[in-house]
Amino acid sequence: MHLKYLVSTLGVAIFGLLSAADSPFEKKVQPVLSKTCAPCHNDRTSSGGLNVAPFLDPKSITQQRDGWERIIQKMRTGEMPPRGIPRPAAQIDELTKFVQTEFERADKLVKPDPGRVTARRLNRNEYSNTIRDLLAVDFRADKDFPTDDSGYGFDNIGDVLTVSPVLMEKYIAAAERIAARAIAADPLPKPLEALYHNKDKNIRRIDGSTIEATHRIEFDGEYTVRIGLPGERAADAKPVTMNFWMDGKLLHSMQVETKPSGLVYFNPYSEEQMKLFLPEGDHVFRAGFIDDDFVKKLTGRELYNNKNNKYLESITFIGPFESKAERASRKKILICDSNTGQACVEKIVATLARRAYRRPVSKNDVAPLMKFFAMAKHEGLSTEQGIQLAIQAMLVSPHFLFRIEHDADPAKVHPVTDLELASRLSYFMWSSLPDEELLSQAEARKLRSPGVIEAQVKRMLADDRAAALAENFAGQWLETRNLDSIKPDPQKFPEWGPELRDAMKTETRMFFESMLRENRSLSDFLNAKYTFLNERLAKHYGIDGVTGPDFRRVDLTTDQRGGILAQASVLTVSSYPTRTSPVIRGKYVLQNILGTPPPPPPPDVPALDEEAVGNAGSLRQQLEKHRSNAICASCHSRMDVLGFGLENYDAIGKWRTKDGKFPIDSSGTFPNGKSFTSPAEMRGLLAANMPEFARCLVEKMLTYALGRGLEQYDRRTVDDMNRKLAAADYRFQTLVNEIVVSLPFQNRRGEIAVKPKEVATR
Amino acid sequence: MITGKALARRSFLKGLGTTIALPFLDAMTPAFGAVAKAPVRMGFVYVPNGMDVRNWNLDYEGKLGELSRILKPLEPYKEEITVLSNLTHNNGRALLDGAGDHGRCCGSYLTGVQPKKSAVDIHCGISTDQIVANHIGNQTRFPSLEVGLEDARQAGDCDSGYSCAYTNNLAWRDERQPLPPILDPRALFERLFGKGASLSPEARARQSKFRKSILDFVTEDTKKLQGDLGPTDRRKLEEYMSSIREIERQLEKAEHDNAQINPGMPKPYGVPADFAEHFKLMTDMLTVALQSDMTRVFSFLVTREGTSRSYREIGIPDGHHPLTHHRNEPALMEKVSQINTYHVKQFAAWVEKLKSTKDGDGSLLDNSMIVYGAGLCDGNKHNHEDLPTIIAGRGGNFIKPGVRRIYRRETPMTNLHLTMMDRMGVHVDNFGDSTGRVNGLDLA
Repeated sequence: MHLKYLVSTLGVAIFGLLSAADSPFEKKVQPVLSKTCAPCHNDRTSSGGLNVAPFLDPKSITQQRDGWERIIQKMRTGEMPPRGIPRPAAQIDELTKFVQTEFERADKLVKPDPGRVTARRLNRNEYSNTIRDLLAVDFRADKDFPTDDSGYGFDNIGDVLTVSPVLMEKYIAAAERIAARAIAADPLPKPLEALYHNKDKNIRRIDGSTIEATHRIEFDGEYTVRIGLPGERAADAKPVTMNFWMDGKLLHSMQVETKPSGLVYFNPYSEEQMKLFLPEGDHVFRAGFIDDDFVKKLTGRELYNNKNNKYLESITFIGPFESKAERASRKKILICDSNTGQACVEKIVATLARRAYRRPVSKNDVAPLMKFFAMAKHEGLSTEQGIQLAIQAMLVSPHFLFRIEHDADPAKVHPVTDLELASRLSYFMWSSLPDEELLSQAEARKLRSPGVIEAQVKRMLADDRAAALAENFAGQWLETRNLDSIKPDPQKFPEWGPELRDAMKTETRMFFESMLRENRSLSDFLNAKYTFLNERLAKHYGIDGVTGPDFRRVDLTTDQRGGILAQASVLTVSSYPTRTSPVIRGKYVLQNILGTPPPPPPPDVPALDEEAVGNAGSLRQQLEKHRSNAICASCHSRMDVLGFGLENYDAIGKWRTKDGKFPIDSSGTFPNGKSFTSPAEMRGLLAANMPEFARCLVEKMLTYALGRGLEQYDRRTVDDMNRKLAAADYRFQTLVNEIVVSLPFQNRRGEIAVKPKEVATR
Repeated sequence: MITGKALARRSFLKGLGTTIALPFLDAMTPAFGAVAKAPVRMGFVYVPNGMDVRNWNLDYEGKLGELSRILKPLEPYKEEITVLSNLTHNNGRALLDGAGDHGRCCGSYLTGVQPKKSAVDIHCGISTDQIVANHIGNQTRFPSLEVGLEDARQAGDCDSGYSCAYTNNLAWRDERQPLPPILDPRALFERLFGKGASLSPEARARQSKFRKSILDFVTEDTKKLQGDLGPTDRRKLEEYMSSIREIERQLEKAEHDNAQINPGMPKPYGVPADFAEHFKLMTDMLTVALQSDMTRVFSFLVTREGTSRSYREIGIPDGHHPLTHHRNEPALMEKVSQINTYHVKQFAAWVEKLKSTKDGDGSLLDNSMIVYGAGLCDGNKHNHEDLPTIIAGRGGNFIKPGVRRIYRRETPMTNLHLTMMDRMGVHVDNFGDSTGRVNGLDLA
């Protein structure tokens, strides 16, 4: 559609003038295509699916823009012409410059188009965060709702987010539970006791002094949590600190004596207990002694011998009990004394509706919600239960579940309203609803006053909620979300486990957040001189001097690590369960770092001789053999070299110098002739070509921010951003700022409603 | 309580008005079966990445004798299964759309159409099960059930430009709306049997009343909203509206029945790490759902096309999909065969369960027809002809099992779908690339 538009407006206008016999096109483009490219890419043998014949026509620059983009890209990276074919460097250079200039000229003539984002429902993460910020209720939609489908690598793309009946059922049930939990007016059931004990095999021993259990809390409430601690240590043993975590979050910390109690026991045993407020849902609870150097001296047997050691053995949950402290959710919702009458109830409902619908509400919004209040009262329920029912209705409303933008003028491009912009900002940076400040700025129509949006971005990025960008944007861009489903072979990688996996995730998350919050240069993504480690991960990396489970910033003195391509998370998700794959890693880098994903392989491609790896030759030798096939080579020459450069890391990202009995060779030469001998040098080369990486990141982040795939008309926006980023030393926050002030983020194209009848009469 | 009088199951449940344990329900079936003919159930069980066909295929036609290695676990039930050969999904093929056989073969499996190659502009077709669900679904609480075993939460792309929607889902409500399978046994349990804490009839009635009012409210709201939206946005809201209508129907149905089925099993807790256990939990619940006539139609996406799931349960640490690209390397093919056999073994255990579950005057298996198959023939070759396919059950005295049928080459799989739809009482002229019905299934 857009192509046609381009053609009709430009094709004739420009190339009508240029089609003279000695046009620049004929001089600069045709000779290279005919002599260098055509021998392999012609009518008969269209290698790689390309036949250059149509590109000999000057009009092709606009009519076959996508094709030309690919040709230029292959020429620029040196991938084409392939090795063995003479490369007329100066002519190719001239050709690419000429075509590029023509592109730009064409782009300038195109009417700016901000595109159009389809109405989209909240995805699972957005739903959870929105509930958290609206009602202060901790609800994990990802454990309850069906999976959101994704497009363009992200799960917030309006076009693919659908509402199935199963999801609708979930919405209705979730609204019921969430409203009940927020108001907490229903009486709690009788307390129950749940025991997780080593002898019942329902706890996991993470290490000598840490245990873990998965437990479902059925009701929000206060619980007594009891830790069973058998054994005793020597008379002069020091007390230790015992921590208690839920889903990786520290809930409680206490001192525990480990020396003999002085009482006479046949089997020494003690218990420690704490009272905690625990939210409804499935949780992973973990208890452990931290910085417990004592157990490091013990061997396997002694570890769980109660004469030698005091250790953790069981976790008991008793509850729920009513909490004495007022719930955060009630404080947030009940902003006046609801027993004073209808006016207060209406105020409560209207206040919530404004935030839930992310816009000012009118009588027409509040009145139907108040009907639910009346209905509950009519059924003999309390005032608070009436408010609860109104909330329940609100949470199923399309105004809450969908982000819908209206076309003031369906026939034209128009700015989105300040309110729509506020939601675009908050769902981009926080995956959640606008907070009071953002919402009131939008209501006052101040968001587009000079300097306001920049100040908001700064404020929002500094807020804790911006962690959503690391979680949802980076987690999908870098594919680290897949760490949850990936299962390295325990035989080959015995050290793999939840703890190492979580440490990997944390490193990448904290690194991404520091990049963003400290406004660092994007080049640090490729070769930063720092990272974030705890003892477990530092040990994995062979870095000394980091002790304890807490993460901290570590300045790197080794060049084995630095940047995302040296982080175990990325290296693990780009491997097979049993071994590394230079092909997958190469594809990963092309796709996520350089923004030039390779085309898929032909279906009957011969795969790698898996069994022979490690026997008949190194993986590298095997792959090189595979690449001797010219068709394979055209893509693999670019892909594999990037993967080989990462071969010093095994399938869970550990440094190695040998693969089986074969020494690792991590050297390589890029198609442009630049070569490297180690991962660090390769990262250096990638970082030296910042425009390429920056463009990739711009495209990914813009896709995520807009919730739609990029189209041809977005090219100019992307080009502009790249220029501005380069001028600003590739600072990360500049990228975020440029996105939020960009044409597609600020505007939208209308869509004329075609009524079915009109079509029929035409 | 059992009077021997003919009691429709519905009125029986209604009369009780509360929770009934299944074993008890079992005891009722003779009385029940004597009257109303038990309904026919239809389902599809899909396994990904093709098959090691060397060890799947039989070298004879007609009556089933010695089964192949992969089918071996079904040996005790070979009088209950039919092996079908040469069924083809032409629309799974590239047909000028290039690579992406995994994406295509799953998208076309129940829809018979070629999915549109796009990451976001998803376009497939209504699936067989949904056509049937649209016709007979109003007779049951759930028009259909969709279940699976593998969490689809994968970042990155799915297959060569095909949206993950094509590989995450088997059932399609219409050409744009896939129906995601339920993966978590607890979620399936709660959907079928409620939240566990059983409500009093009054509380349930009130809950249902509130829910209905809320649905009325959002329906009104949505109508108002839709007025000034463009066609694309309106389509999204229409999806939402149609889901609301479906829930309304379910609510009415549940209210009408006013009964909760007791599953006769404790509420499962999270997703088991063990494949066989997960498979068993899900099929146990499907069995209850079918037996108690909560639904008559289901689809079961065992794991996803292109999955890299490993099977350490049987000593295979490698990913399933990478293994299928074995280049005829015996050691790798062996592992593929083991995975294929392991899957059939789980299915066989379910067949056993269905066979021992009474239904009407026979077994639940007698009254079911459950297709077990793959969307690719050989996972290494990515071919779409002669798809590995078996049917378990008799579809209510309709199929005469215990044989292998070899159809003409390139017989559309959609012909089988048409035949099965016929049996479900849904008569459609064409479906996908169908050319007619398949023969040799019916007793006549």
